[in-house]
Amino acid sequence: MKNISLKSNQCIATCPACGLLCDDILLENNQNVIKVMANGCAKSIPFFEQKLNDATPRIAGEPATLAQALARAAQILKQAQQPLFTGLSTDVAGFRAIYNLAQKTSGIHQQNMQHMNAASTARNIRVLQSTGWQTTTLTEVKNRADVIVCIGSDIVSHNPRFFERFVDVDGMFISAKNRQLIVLGESKNNGVIKSDALEAAWILPCRADDLPSVTIALRALVAGKPLKATEVAGIKVSDLQSVADKLKAAKYAVLAWVSKDFDYPHAELTIQNITETVAILNQTTRAAGLALGGSDGDTSANNANTWLSGFALNNDTIEHDCVVWVNSFNAEKLPPNTDKPLIVLGNTNCQFETTPDVFIPTAKPGLDCSGTLFRVDSSVILPLKKLRENNLPTLSEVVSGIEALL
Amino acid sequence: MITLLKNGKLYDPAHNKDGVVEDIYIRNGHIIAKPISAEKINQTFDLTGKVVMAGAIDMHSHIGGGKVNIARMMLPEFQETRGYSEPEAHICTPNCSHNATPNTTDTGFRYIEMGYTAAFEPAIMPINARQAHLEMADTPMIDKGGYAMLGNDDYFLRLLSSGADQKAINDYVAWTLHATQAIGIKVVNPGGISAFKFNQRRLNLDENNVHYQVTPRDILKSLSRAVNELGIAKPLHVHCNNLGAAGNFQTTLDTMGASDGLPMHLTHVQFHSYGTEGDKKFSSAAAQIAEALNKNKHITADVGQILFGQTVTTSGDSMMQHLNARHANPKKSVIMDIECDAGCGVVPFKYRDQNYVNALQWAIGLELFLSVEDPWRIFLTTDHPNGAPFTSYPHLIRLLMDKSFRNEAFAKLNLDAQAMSNLTSLNREYSLYEIAIMTRAGAAKLIGLNNCGHLGAGAQADITVYTDNPDREAMFAKPDYVFKNGELVVKDGKVVKVVWGATHVVKPAFDIAVEVDLKKYFDKYHTIQLDNYKINNNEIHDNGRGKIVTHSKGE
Ligand SMILES: [Zn+2]
Ligand SMILES: [Zn+2]
Repeated sequence: MKNISLKSNQCIATCPACGLLCDDILLENNQNVIKVMANGCAKSIPFFEQKLNDATPRIAGEPATLAQALARAAQILKQAQQPLFTGLSTDVAGFRAIYNLAQKTSGIHQQNMQHMNAASTARNIRVLQSTGWQTTTLTEVKNRADVIVCIGSDIVSHNPRFFERFVDVDGMFISAKNRQLIVLGESKNNGVIKSDALEAAWILPCRADDLPSVTIALRALVAGKPLKATEVAGIKVSDLQSVADKLKAAKYAVLAWVSKDFDYPHAELTIQNITETVAILNQTTRAAGLALGGSDGDTSANNANTWLSGFALNNDTIEHDCVVWVNSFNAEKLPPNTDKPLIVLGNTNCQFETTPDVFIPTAKPGLDCSGTLFRVDSSVILPLKKLRENNLPTLSEVVSGIEALL
Repeated sequence: MITLLKNGKLYDPAHNKDGVVEDIYIRNGHIIAKPISAEKINQTFDLTGKVVMAGAIDMHSHIGGGKVNIARMMLPEFQETRGYSEPEAHICTPNCSHNATPNTTDTGFRYIEMGYTAAFEPAIMPINARQAHLEMADTPMIDKGGYAMLGNDDYFLRLLSSGADQKAINDYVAWTLHATQAIGIKVVNPGGISAFKFNQRRLNLDENNVHYQVTPRDILKSLSRAVNELGIAKPLHVHCNNLGAAGNFQTTLDTMGASDGLPMHLTHVQFHSYGTEGDKKFSSAAAQIAEALNKNKHITADVGQILFGQTVTTSGDSMMQHLNARHANPKKSVIMDIECDAGCGVVPFKYRDQNYVNALQWAIGLELFLSVEDPWRIFLTTDHPNGAPFTSYPHLIRLLMDKSFRNEAFAKLNLDAQAMSNLTSLNREYSLYEIAIMTRAGAAKLIGLNNCGHLGAGAQADITVYTDNPDREAMFAKPDYVFKNGELVVKDGKVVKVVWGATHVVKPAFDIAVEVDLKKYFDKYHTIQLDNYKINNNEIHDNGRGKIVTHSKGE
């Protein structure tokens, strides 16, 4: 942030709306209404400008006191044998609270915890657990990356400011104009994001379900294995060869992907093609993978679960007889359809399709209360600020209220 | 409220007490002098015949932060060993997990069950320090702290290569200690992690980092001087160049001279004591390293003993771990470049007694322990989890204290390795007093923990009570009692009360003007705000569960 002088009702905040955790968002607070003044994006503006809304807890849709709602939630959990804690969109402190509640209420069963992004996270975790990988982080990308290949999409629909913050800027060891950007996959930008790098990018379009064959071809070419085919999924092999050559000639190539883009069976094999391509490049030059995306506290939940339990969060299908849905950040994310008792802890702005048995509104970390969140590269962890007056309880407070009644 | 520990045999090297029978009085979490007779004793433990030491301090153990969590994430198969009993490890208790990557709760529990009351994370990456503290905050029972890594961060290397004066370096080092809430400074493969990002694959002590044109020696000189001039107790913690490479002992010997006589601590020296003799071009250089350690009084070291079994190596040394990854078992690894700050390499290893190199590594570690004369300058570590999980300490202690046990183990090793080691000619057996130095008094002195590691009046009442048992492994695996801040927390090797320890830090004075240039650097090259880099006290206090203890030299 350049030295700007802030007005008394302004502040610089950290945005939890996507995995980039931009911490340069200029906000203004007028009578407790937040407005994004600078550095906003398609994800951060709706987050910061969401209404406080009615903080009244509800039992079966009817207004209730917090004490009544806590009692009803505790009653449901006491009757359950195997509650499922899902959504899990919260910060580190919130996750820790939910983890402890899950431990206390799961009895003899392994606790059931599943993040709303479990399916896409699991694609990356499978690669980590089968071969591992060689990766980098955003500050390295900004300062070193001379060739960047985005695989699957052009990233911006997941991380709107990726190019603005890390690619269209001069780094310590590379200037913006000397970077080469290649997109292998679908361009989803439609001109909304203005980026010099994206405009100059070499785009090799292919469909998501062609990525397995495209990435394996690229991996073979980087390994120096010639291909018999002249075309892979509509992309000329000579073009792929040229991508391979650029990668091999790069000083610090970065191969980026968003696992959410790989929504097809065995997508981990696509990711593995990318990470093994990196491993081959690292025999002679330097290269690194970069898993992007991230939202709703998924990286935080996964890290905290890992140190608390020893295990990464998984994506197993889980037997359960009650659902606790935790959703702090994004009101559009809705609980799963269920015929089991449903407890919802979270965002005041949710419009439910099925009325929860209990709904307890909680403070949104980074807006209604302070917090801590992991960036998508897992290496950077940032504090979140409380930005407006409100009387919403934090998730930790709600959980300890429930625990006291168990 | 006074607790009396009556008639114990005290091993308290800080006060030259070698098995002296004495009473200990505890009030408000601290050891006090014998109170006047009118004062009421509320609780008495009869420790007649028992061995009493201060709580042990692990001065180098990877218990928190990114690398360890990556290892946990990558290796779910480790967790499934929960409850199994590995012959090398400690005596199992129900719910016991003693795998290489315990979760934070298990970490705290396993430590306290062995009578350890503090452990220090030796490789806090400054940019990742918040995670290290979050994990340590979730580690119950023990005190903790960490060393912040510098020397591969672009900011420091830019300062050094531009010829910045020592004051600028000192201010930056002090600022980093504050920002990361650390108690010491570590350098890993000085300059090498950065060099790897520029595609250098090895870096020797007097070789230039290609971009910055500074050598590891320049870095060591500058950082050791900064640490010394800032007046913090903990000497610069040095992970030498050429980790794990045959022939690296020469780098290690040369490194001892790099600080111009200022104190330095060489960590996990076992991994840096390798020669190139013999058919396999891999040999023990423990004798040379030990001789140099004996001679160079400004150098301290911890061993990083390996023990046989499955573990995982988690290191900041991305350069050398990238080379080591081909030995990964199971076959997977993570190598990362991180934030123009550092890097990491996580590589699982299975050390086997029938493997020549592994067997010799085992012997080299023990040769070092037995050949370094001054127990105040050598520390008992396995570089958890890199050489072995910390839960194997009782086994390691027995190897040091029991020559026939050690020689029996040696006789089972790969025969070629046996032929290359002089271990059986080393007759030394560590005494209880020497073990107490290595694991208590010496460690506290090294880190600068003035109220820990001893049993004198004023000490934090972290006390471990053992039954004297000729089987030292059994003895050290299962203390009768452990007191943490005066409270009984372990009885017969089992946790009876859950408590939360403090975080030990240093905060040397510095010129805040250092932030002017740092802010410019952050705005231009970093991807977060300078203010968000700094961890404030409230984050550690964690709503009252955590506590910061700030140390200053000679307080
Ligand atoms: Zn055990
Ligand atoms: Zn270590």
